[in-house]
Amino acid sequence: MDPIREAELMMTRRQLFGRTSLGLGTAALGRLLSIGGLGGAAGLASAFGPEKHGGLPGFPNFAPKAKRVIYLFMSGGPSHLDLWDYKPKLNDLFNTDLPDAVRRGQRVTTMTSGQTRFPIAPSKYKFNHADNNGDGIWVSELLPHTSQVVKELCVIKTMWTEAINHDPATTYLQTGSQLPGRPSMGAWLSYGLGSMNENLPTYVVLHSKVTSGKPNQPVYPRLWGTGFLPSEYQGVALRSQGDPVLYLKDPEGLDRGTRREMLDDIAVLNHGQLSQFGDPEIAARIKQYELAYRLQASVPDLMDLSKEPQATFDLYGKEAHEPGTFAANCLLARRMVERGVRFIQIFHRGWDLHSDLGVDMPTQAKDVDQACAALIKDLKRTGLLEDTLVVWGGEFGRTVYSQGPLSHENYGRDHHPRAFTVWMAGGGVKPGMVYGQTDDFGYNIVDKDGAIIDPSVERQTPGAVHIHDLQATILNQLGIDHTKLTYHYQGRDFRLTDVNGHVIHDLLT
Amino acid sequence: MKLTIPVFVLSTCLLAYAAVPSGRRSHSAPPVDFGRDIKPILSQKCFKCHGPDASKAAAGLRLDLFDGATKKLRDGFAIVPGKPIQSKLLERVSSTNEDMRMPPPDSGATPLTKEQIATMEAWITQGAKYAKHWSFVPPAMPKSPGVKDSKWCRNPIDGFVLAKLEEAGLKPETQADRHTLALRAAEVLTGLPPTKAELDSYLQDKSSDAYERYVDRQMRKTAYGEQQARYWLDAVRYGDTHGLQLDNERAVYPYRDWVIEAFNKDLPFDKFLLWQLAGDLLPSPTTEQMVATGYVRMNLTSNEGGAIAEEFLARNTFDRVETTGTVLLGLTIGCARCHDHKFDPIKQKDYYGLYAYFNSTQDQPLDGNIALPPPFIRAPSSEQTQRLSQLEADLGAVRKGINDKNALVWLTANRAGSLESKDWQISPVMMAKSFDEAFDKPGPGEPGHDTTDWKPLKFQVGKDHASLVGKDNAAVYVKGTVVASKRTKLIIGVSSDDAVKVWLNGKLIHANKVSRGVDQAIDKVVGTFNPGPNELIAKVINGSGPDGLNIRLTDERTQRIIDTVDTFNKQPSPINHVAVVDTYLEVGPDTPLSKRYRAIKAEQKVLMGQIPMSLIAKEMTTPRPTFILKRGQYDQPGDPVQRHVPSALGELTPKMPNDRLGLAKWMISPSNPLVARVFVNRVWQQSFGTGIVKTSEDFGSQGELPVNQPLLDYLAVQFAKKGWSVKQLNRQIVTSAAFRQASRVTPLKLVKDPENRLISRGPRFRLDAEEIRDKALFASGLLSDKIGGHGFKPYQPDGLWEGSSDPASSTHFYVRDRDNSIYRRSMYMFWKRTSPPPVMVTFDSPTRDTCIVRRSVTNTPLQALTTLNETAFLEASRVMAQHLTVDKLSDEAKMTSAFRRTLAREPEPWERKVMMSALARYRRKYLGSPKAAHGVLRVGDATPVAEPLAPETASWMLVCSSLMNTDEFLSLH
Repeated sequence: MDPIREAELMMTRRQLFGRTSLGLGTAALGRLLSIGGLGGAAGLASAFGPEKHGGLPGFPNFAPKAKRVIYLFMSGGPSHLDLWDYKPKLNDLFNTDLPDAVRRGQRVTTMTSGQTRFPIAPSKYKFNHADNNGDGIWVSELLPHTSQVVKELCVIKTMWTEAINHDPATTYLQTGSQLPGRPSMGAWLSYGLGSMNENLPTYVVLHSKVTSGKPNQPVYPRLWGTGFLPSEYQGVALRSQGDPVLYLKDPEGLDRGTRREMLDDIAVLNHGQLSQFGDPEIAARIKQYELAYRLQASVPDLMDLSKEPQATFDLYGKEAHEPGTFAANCLLARRMVERGVRFIQIFHRGWDLHSDLGVDMPTQAKDVDQACAALIKDLKRTGLLEDTLVVWGGEFGRTVYSQGPLSHENYGRDHHPRAFTVWMAGGGVKPGMVYGQTDDFGYNIVDKDGAIIDPSVERQTPGAVHIHDLQATILNQLGIDHTKLTYHYQGRDFRLTDVNGHVIHDLLT
Repeated sequence: MKLTIPVFVLSTCLLAYAAVPSGRRSHSAPPVDFGRDIKPILSQKCFKCHGPDASKAAAGLRLDLFDGATKKLRDGFAIVPGKPIQSKLLERVSSTNEDMRMPPPDSGATPLTKEQIATMEAWITQGAKYAKHWSFVPPAMPKSPGVKDSKWCRNPIDGFVLAKLEEAGLKPETQADRHTLALRAAEVLTGLPPTKAELDSYLQDKSSDAYERYVDRQMRKTAYGEQQARYWLDAVRYGDTHGLQLDNERAVYPYRDWVIEAFNKDLPFDKFLLWQLAGDLLPSPTTEQMVATGYVRMNLTSNEGGAIAEEFLARNTFDRVETTGTVLLGLTIGCARCHDHKFDPIKQKDYYGLYAYFNSTQDQPLDGNIALPPPFIRAPSSEQTQRLSQLEADLGAVRKGINDKNALVWLTANRAGSLESKDWQISPVMMAKSFDEAFDKPGPGEPGHDTTDWKPLKFQVGKDHASLVGKDNAAVYVKGTVVASKRTKLIIGVSSDDAVKVWLNGKLIHANKVSRGVDQAIDKVVGTFNPGPNELIAKVINGSGPDGLNIRLTDERTQRIIDTVDTFNKQPSPINHVAVVDTYLEVGPDTPLSKRYRAIKAEQKVLMGQIPMSLIAKEMTTPRPTFILKRGQYDQPGDPVQRHVPSALGELTPKMPNDRLGLAKWMISPSNPLVARVFVNRVWQQSFGTGIVKTSEDFGSQGELPVNQPLLDYLAVQFAKKGWSVKQLNRQIVTSAAFRQASRVTPLKLVKDPENRLISRGPRFRLDAEEIRDKALFASGLLSDKIGGHGFKPYQPDGLWEGSSDPASSTHFYVRDRDNSIYRRSMYMFWKRTSPPPVMVTFDSPTRDTCIVRRSVTNTPLQALTTLNETAFLEASRVMAQHLTVDKLSDEAKMTSAFRRTLAREPEPWERKVMMSALARYRRKYLGSPKAAHGVLRVGDATPVAEPLAPETASWMLVCSSLMNTDEFLSLH
């Protein structure tokens, strides 16, 4: 149609919903607006083109294996040596010095650079061999529940990063850059793929209580922020105190019916403006107020666990009754996955153990172990695991040498970027897989023959997975070519994987 | 390979090109403009591999330079000027063979369109002329264009705007009505609606220049400076915290207040820049010029446990260089951190040439997690400065009343003895994991853990000794021998940075675990000295940052007399004369003069305590050497680099010093092609919502071309010529006929000028976060007009800071303010960079982590929830309703007042009908349920509502809240 004619018709419709509709009376207009959900407002907005909520044209680029992601982020850097990377030979090397041939000039943080020695600290925890439908996998006694679901997990033992401090490393993993200012992974997905349920946010963030009471490392909104992308793509933190979504609740004394009437009045005034100015943004505003009204119903419904059967709480643990625990958050994640939330990020803190691994590791592991396993089982049970990708891991690993005093019962570990463990499940990754291996010290990535590999961020290095590779692989499972999901800003097409990243096809079904 | 561009393809291309509307038709192709028509294609499709990044020039071909594009390659010539058939480039871009076609599929770029190919061909036919990128050529004053409807024009801006409109076949809109215009101008200039008095006086002013005079009055309000500063603070990423990891508070708000003041007094923009970039390098800089250098210190910093200083030096400098690149030059030089820029002629070497200007300031790369990582400056307000100099004059008057000879006699007579000390020594430094450990753990030198590693120390009692420890979380022991002639019990003074322990003859006599500066506190310790030598040991424990120790072996008063007399006797200089008088007045006998003196001193001390500190830049005496950092890695230095500006942009003249001052002078010199353009473009963006260059952060090859370059150049040249007056620039824009147009969109314009880039109507866009909240407070009458000072903490849902920050952070606990400061303008909100105020961020304010010169404008349900339910907004509608309720007016008049307060206009009859009927409904509801009325009114600190008024106020409150949620309230129009 002739675009000018089309715009003229728009104006006519606006007249209908603007001034002339006043003849119908406000209540009638309210009804008219609410018919079929958005009614007139949606119609007006869509007259200007496709809804933003559909994501980018051409996305996904190919048939996705996963429709959603749950990222269980273990903030602080969990010790791979005490959870996943079994190194029995270290027991004979207790308190001996880390050979230079192993350290190979790796920089150390200024927390241990003053140490005169780097004494080896074997894990004090027992490892058990678990059946994963393949060669089996050694799992720490600290993860008794998770070890029951290893048949579903794809365990990557050779993740690596360049960053050695928390802020840069975490920002790197979440946004693809060590310096702040880039969009987070979830923001990229919201931007590229859009929403599957307009009544809930596309990207949700949950923070978990830490039993040890030592949450130490901060997690900040930039980790789920949008950087230079428009702010509508940012993660929405669902809170366990106060309003689950900021300002969701109407004030006391303002009932739902009155709110509806108020919104109808606002809509009428806005329609008047629309007919006067013809600015499409006004139509969009009318729609956003309707969406807000719907959020006010859909979020409480999501958070209401009262209809969950006892079996659910048996599975996730009784902590799931308590809002804000990691268990409750995993349960909410399952409920969100059912409702079509695209990206769910659960933060669990307290893993930055520079000392006292002998005391704090069991507490940390207990916080997450049962719920992780429960989430996998629950998704498997409902068939959602098929197209939901679950990722577990931190921003880096920890050193094999002890930071501070070392005994058989207790030791500390500093940050270690050169190798750490991350696992994935569902969403088209190979179940029961163990990828990559480290040397006898859990320090370097090695090949099948045990020779040290120096992985490169620029080239794909078989057997090693850089965090850009992980990001590329996650996007791939969602049907996105990571080189194509770009945003033009400051003269450059930016992307999550910066200028690197390779899909690790060996991990995929 | 055979040449495969048949005549057929060429003719199709030419046809396609002719179909592109160009305003004129002729048999030959119209003249092609390299910058407008060709460069964008090359930049988008080719430069990634054949651009300025010399190391990537695939097949030896560079298309960014004429010489590179026309040189002989293995297979022939990419471009033969005037000979399209012989130009391989055309063959390759139009090839149907995927293996041959450029750009290749794996480059990520799509093939050229037929139109683009035709344009390229026409360009080659016309001689393949290259031109420097438009923004790298300094602007020249353009000729004023001829227009048909010259009557419409009010100032030169309008001619340039109208020329574009006429070219597009559009007519400007009629002028907006005076209500709208008054509101629009006030909101653009001050971020606030006009007061009722301002609006009325304008509406009543029937003179021909009423609007101009109204604009001038708006610009005289201090709110003008606040509004202009807001944009600048986004650009320089102002924040009240360090921004990384612990994210502790930092002291720098005097810089923010200086920016406001600078705009209010219309400090010429060239000086404004010069002082910020290099105030410290000016000859004897003023406090104001030093505070301005806070600009250099605005980068995010950290002192995360384990952080490596060299790494953060590089990060901090990247941040400074790239921010300066965007804010001043409108260039995305960050690309050149790792390699030559792929699109703009900025080499990696150029990047590090700029880097070298910013990597040699005295501040430590790691911030010590303290509020005032040195250097910093005392930054008094102008009232404080005035009072201080008054007090200094008063002191002078008092001193005149004292005879200094008599004073010296009195002091000498009262000079009591101090214990003598000798053999001061210092132990090795003991490192620890934490401050706690450093305090608790005995190290070598502690009584019972003696060491042979004592080193002699030049230590003078009664004096501050800095940098004894020199490390964070570390301690050191200082030992001396104190000789007493008889058994002496004495109160000695110990001052330390940070904590301290003291042993006398092996016995612990003092322990104070604090974090402080050496001059901030003095501990009084009782010690009993034996006749003969006594061993005194002090342990200084440093948490972070500077450290130091001061030990006094007598009481404070006596020490003062000893110091004064001894110093005077050594050197009876004028200064020491004054010191004698001062000491006499301070510690001598009580007289009316000495009492007066002490009172003035006391006031001085209180005042000094109130004066805030601000972070500043200071240059090191010897600059750090700079190297290209390979791939931007701090630990991979390459070739050394000297300070220089990118050669494509010009160079410093020999007269300019090659430091930040020279750099600043180059920025504001007439030969700089970018600085004025970049700034005037942003001011235009403030007024119209979009810049003349839409990508206001990128004036390079990948940025958008100016939609109206003559207009941009006119504004830039005029700006510099007229003394860089930002007020004049603003005035010219808002008094133009272009700005005064009504902002309605006709169907024709919606199609021909959908984003209003041609200015075919007045501006209409959503207000910024700060403006929306301020407007609500303004409507309620709650808005405070206090300028500057420490950031305030508004209403905020519980747990936002606590839930995400490190418990050790100085900004871990959010304690909101409980006084009137919560009604201050939003720009004064305490800005915690890792958890900024949620209301602001929801409405697209940047987090201030990085430089932002163009905010995104979104429209989301979370914004709706915010203005509907956030405490400040509800409180504003409640307080506004209270005002309406107590007024003795009819409902009709109250409704008019409600519209005027929120929308600065009267309601249309139909609007009145809608809202009156809403009011009636709410009244029915709340009269029937006073409890509900009280519920809805229970919001915010402002004085609550009297009992019988509750249902009435609650009803009006919903009316007010509705009006504050209309698109009209939220938008500038």
